[in-house]
Amino acid sequence: MSEETLRAEIAQLQLELERAREELAAREAELVASAKLVSLGSLLAGIAHELNSPLGALHSNHDVLKRALGKLQVILEDEVVDETELDELRRVVRALVGVLEVNDLAVHRMVGLVRSLRSFGRPDRSERAFIDINEAIDSTLALLEHQLRDRVEVVRDYDALPPIDCYANQINQVFMNLLVNAAQAIEGPGRITVRTRREADSVLVEVEDTGVGIEPDTLQRIFEPGFTRKGGRIGMGLGLLIVRQIVDRHHGEIAVRSTPGTGTVFTVRLAPLTRSEQPL
Amino acid sequence: MNVPNQNATVLLVDDELMVARSLQSLLQLETDWNVLTFSEPERAIEELDRREVDVILSDFLMPIMDGITMLERAKEKQPFASRILLTGYADKANAIRAINEAGLYYYLEKPWDNAHLKLVVRNAVERARLIRDLDGRIAELEQARGELRDIRGKLIRAFL
Repeated sequence: MSEETLRAEIAQLQLELERAREELAAREAELVASAKLVSLGSLLAGIAHELNSPLGALHSNHDVLKRALGKLQVILEDEVVDETELDELRRVVRALVGVLEVNDLAVHRMVGLVRSLRSFGRPDRSERAFIDINEAIDSTLALLEHQLRDRVEVVRDYDALPPIDCYANQINQVFMNLLVNAAQAIEGPGRITVRTRREADSVLVEVEDTGVGIEPDTLQRIFEPGFTRKGGRIGMGLGLLIVRQIVDRHHGEIAVRSTPGTGTVFTVRLAPLTRSEQPL
Repeated sequence: MNVPNQNATVLLVDDELMVARSLQSLLQLETDWNVLTFSEPERAIEELDRREVDVILSDFLMPIMDGITMLERAKEKQPFASRILLTGYADKANAIRAINEAGLYYYLEKPWDNAHLKLVVRNAVERARLIRDLDGRIAELEQARGELRDIRGKLIRAFL
């Protein structure tokens, strides 16, 4: 085979390799996008559930207000209030006091939920800001409240932290994925401990669960695309892939250690971005 | 309002107190019933040792104790009370299990309709009252039968 033919063949192979690489990158992007949709879906289901109680209470109370108004109109029709009507008035007032108390609680709950959502999902993907990591974790935990409340105790062990310059919505996605994974790893009742520590300019976040743990050979592949826990969900491995990508883009580090049967600890180290960096 | 419904007692249990309290407002406005609210199932069960209730309405998903367990334990304390399950989840499979195994009177889904809920609770009160009344009459009959037996015994002895 002449040198020229060989060169041509190598060039052809390189081209094919390049195409394959591009295709792989496109597939990975697709997988990441679908994983984000899955986690968005579970987030939306959670929000719908969180809204159900305050909304149900407000809905019912709105009807109670209409009924109360109807009673007042009947009592006031003849401009005279007799003894029976006085009893009815007392009853109306008692009900209204209850309605006001509950509406107050319900409205507060909904306002708080919307505030958490706003700080969690900053609409502009490239919005870069100084954020308090402790607050970001609290917002994420607030959104997961419905998944955790009944069975998982959450322990917050926070240090006072310097504000971190980062892409807030992406960092929130990191905490969301780690916390959802931790919750899913726990079968039955358990505990998630979130630790934050300040180390020089950087911030260390640990998410520890008392879940089923991960076998050593699986642990090595945990950040690979397409990895899913046996019988696990579609989003699981991709969730961790997203986590690693975001942490990498922030020049941070992520590590995991796990004892099967005891639990898993994910450790994320984040340093502030330097001002000159391009949008991620 | 029907006479038997006067001063009925209804016990509401929901870990979200705002749900129980909004039901309380409705029933207080529309009826003369005593309406008690609890956010902890254990407290509600303790209350059943202290007073007779006609209806127990419980949420399904609660921490520590779910609504089905709560209503099963309530039945041990007060078998005549009508028990209603209220749930935010359209969890039909569990609801059917509850109705079959725990012998529930009714199953309501959140969000509820006030007019329907009031009707269901009113019927539940009547049911509890009727059953209690029936039980009382059966006891009276049993006693009367016992007395008759005594009289018969005495009569037989008198003639022998």
